[in-house]
Amino acid sequence: MSYSVIVVKAGGRALASNRQNILQSVARHSSDGVVFVHGGGDIVSEFERRLGVEPKIVVSPSGVRSRLTDSAEIEVYTMVMAGKLGKEIAAYLNKLGVKAVNLSGVDASIIKAQRKKKIVIVDERGRKRVVDGGYTGTITEVDAQFIKRLLELGVVLVVSPLAIGEEGELLNVDGDSAAAAIASSIHADKLYLLTDVDGLLLDGELVKSLTAAQALEILDKIGPGMNRKVMMAARAVQSGVKRAHICTGLVADPVEAADLGGGTVIVG
Amino acid sequence: MPSLNCPVCGASVEVPNDALPGELFECGDCGAQLEYFMDEKNTASLKVAEEVAEDWGQ
Repeated sequence: MSYSVIVVKAGGRALASNRQNILQSVARHSSDGVVFVHGGGDIVSEFERRLGVEPKIVVSPSGVRSRLTDSAEIEVYTMVMAGKLGKEIAAYLNKLGVKAVNLSGVDASIIKAQRKKKIVIVDERGRKRVVDGGYTGTITEVDAQFIKRLLELGVVLVVSPLAIGEEGELLNVDGDSAAAAIASSIHADKLYLLTDVDGLLLDGELVKSLTAAQALEILDKIGPGMNRKVMMAARAVQSGVKRAHICTGLVADPVEAADLGGGTVIVG
Repeated sequence: MPSLNCPVCGASVEVPNDALPGELFECGDCGAQLEYFMDEKNTASLKVAEEVAEDWGQ
C-alpha cells in the first residue's frame, strides 16, 4: 500500500463548535486513508453530572488539568467516548459517503496501555500529593498491522480515546497521545492536532514552523496542555511522521488550512 | 509544626499539622522527595516518593 495516510485528532471543544466542518474536511481527505481520533471531555463531564457522578478534575504540578478517572467515572467515560461520541462521528461520516468505523483502543486491543497506579496532583490547598491514578493509562503499544488492514479496506477509522490495560481493564488515555502513537506506529504521512486555538503561540505570536528538536527544547516555555500537544507532535515527527500540525479546528476546512500553511507545523 | 525524620539522611523535616497521606515534601538537607505516610496504627512517617511521571488521560 502506498502511504499518504493521515491521522487527524480533534479536541472536544473544536468538535463541539465546528463538528460538521471538521468531519467534512476529514471526508474530503479520506481517499488515501485517515485515522480520526476524537476528544470530548466536556461532554463526558456533562453526562457524569446527569448521572449523579461529580467530575473530578485534578491539576498536575505543571498545570495540566485532567480527569481523575475513578471506577464510576470510567463507566461514564466509556459510554460517552466509545458509545455516543464515537458513533455520532462515524454516523456523520457514513452519511457523507465515507465508510467509517468507530473503534476504541479496547477493540482488537488496538491501543494497549499501562494503568497509572499513582499520579501527582496539586490539591485544593495548593500542595503536591500522590493519589491513586484511577483508570488512566499510559499508552504502551498500538496494533499498527490491524489498523493498516482496515485502512486497506477503504475504512476511515474513528478512534475513541480508550485503551485496554494489562488486566483487561478499560483506561482513559489522552487523545493527543493516542493520535501521536497511532501516527508513529503506522508511519503516517502527517498528523493533525486540531484544537480551539490557532496553533502554538509564544509571547503572543504564532509560531509557524519549527523542527522537532526545537520544539522539545522550548517545552518549558509553553503553557500546560499545549506543551503536551507540542511534545506529542515532536515525538511523532522524530519517529518518522513527515509533518505534525497543531492548528485550529474552527475553520471551514481545517486539514486544508493546515496544508496551506495555517497553524504551526513541526518537521524533522 | 511537628517534624519527621528523612529516611535517606536522617535530617528533621517539618511537616504541617494538616498534612495528608500522599503529600510530598522535600528534605531540606539532602533534597530527597518524600511522601507523607500513615500506617494502620495512624503512625506518621516519611518514605521516599516514587517517581511518578506526568502522562494523563483526557
